[in-house]
Amino acid sequence: MHQVDIKEDNRLETFITRRYESTLSVMNERDVELMRSLMDSIGDTVNGGVVLIDVSSTQFVRVNLVLLKGLLEELDHTGIFISVDRPHQYMVHLMRMHKICLDRITFIDVISRFSADRKAGEARVSFVDGPFHIDALPHAMEEWSMNGRSKINDMDELGFTMIDNIAALQMYNRNPAVELFINNFILMAKSQGNVLVPLVLDRERHRSLYDSAMRFCDKEVKVERDLSSATNGSRSEIRKEISSINYNKEAR
Amino acid sequence: MSKEMIQTGSERIGLVRLATGIPGLDEMLEGGFPFPSVVLVSGSAGTGKTTFALKFLCEGVKKGETGLYFTTLSEPTQWMLRFASQFDFMDQDSFGEDIVYADLGSLLMDPKADELLDTIENKIAEVMPQRIVIDPITVVGGMLKDDYRIFLFDLINRLKNWNSTTLLTGEVKPTELYPPEISYAVDGIILLLLSEEAGARRKYLEVLKMRGTNHITGKQSIDITRTDGIVVLKARF
Repeated sequence: MHQVDIKEDNRLETFITRRYESTLSVMNERDVELMRSLMDSIGDTVNGGVVLIDVSSTQFVRVNLVLLKGLLEELDHTGIFISVDRPHQYMVHLMRMHKICLDRITFIDVISRFSADRKAGEARVSFVDGPFHIDALPHAMEEWSMNGRSKINDMDELGFTMIDNIAALQMYNRNPAVELFINNFILMAKSQGNVLVPLVLDRERHRSLYDSAMRFCDKEVKVERDLSSATNGSRSEIRKEISSINYNKEAR
Repeated sequence: MSKEMIQTGSERIGLVRLATGIPGLDEMLEGGFPFPSVVLVSGSAGTGKTTFALKFLCEGVKKGETGLYFTTLSEPTQWMLRFASQFDFMDQDSFGEDIVYADLGSLLMDPKADELLDTIENKIAEVMPQRIVIDPITVVGGMLKDDYRIFLFDLINRLKNWNSTTLLTGEVKPTELYPPEISYAVDGIILLLLSEEAGARRKYLEVLKMRGTNHITGKQSIDITRTDGIVVLKARF
């Protein structure tokens, strides 16, 4: 098995302090409404379990952000966010812009050292060398948390673990490796206690991966955005609908 | 599950694509522009760059996506809408919420690359759009001068990570195809061309480059209509 090492960020102190204060914006009403609907749909599973969230690929970032707002701000949870699809600085930037507190989140950045990105960010972060051999990451995370390098004072406090996003792993790993990762990732998260694992995926685009994830999930939540044409050929009305369907097991 | 399992059965995952809404073009692009990506739409004056960009944004609104339109021309929204409203596909009600308009012109009076980059990124982070337009990017080149190449490198790199598909429009002289300083960094290049034939100016569109896409090559005749904006007329495919 390939060894994956999670390295702490020693450059953090040297990052440039950016002054966002003058440009901070409050999250718009539409996204706040989405956050509340998502939290309602996740329900009791928020205290531990796997929730599969089906959403269009173009809305992954928005859904991840509103989830973070709900979990960190509304529920005061502590969490880990694994960045695969883009360097963690982009989510940090989004969180700062939308006034989401970064005190209770630790990033594991799988892609930064692979992307040559020069964007600054200020957050607790550890790095993995690259997105390959992802099946070994859960094991590395376990070691990382056990030896106190996770920077979360008490792992019993860990409330959620998120990944942005599982589908992106398919660009760097073969399907069996990604499926093994999902399996081990969920086992690892569950071994930490009452941890929520929201998995954001587009069922239509990633059917096979979605079906694999379904095997482990306690609840499935569908975020729908479709449209119905308005009359007179004028403004199109966007209908946003969120429904939750209990799947297999009762939420813990 | 065995950790020694053999990794076989690779399933190629196609790129997510955003339909451009331009009749005939999506068929040339296997369904649309890759998402996320940065695409340059290049052409001389009057070839339809802004019309192309507006149609791209309006198509997104129909699909529940948010658009962000940066202008570098310091042009008031109302002035841009005055002309754009002549197209049937334009819905003025979209502007403000579904398509957010941001003016970079005032920053370009005394431009600083870092400040410009911060302003663009902060607006993107605020709006979280799926579709972005910067129209035209080439104006920035004249303002930033020596810092332009580094600015472009940073801008394009970062735009690729914002989970959006971005159109940069580039104005060129009639004798040029595209601004070379941008072309190396973008994922796609669409040329809008004017050609004088038998005393008349004819318009063409050509997909010069589109990464990850088996696109149709060669010049295709286009027309600009009130109903649809740009329409690819003679798609030879």
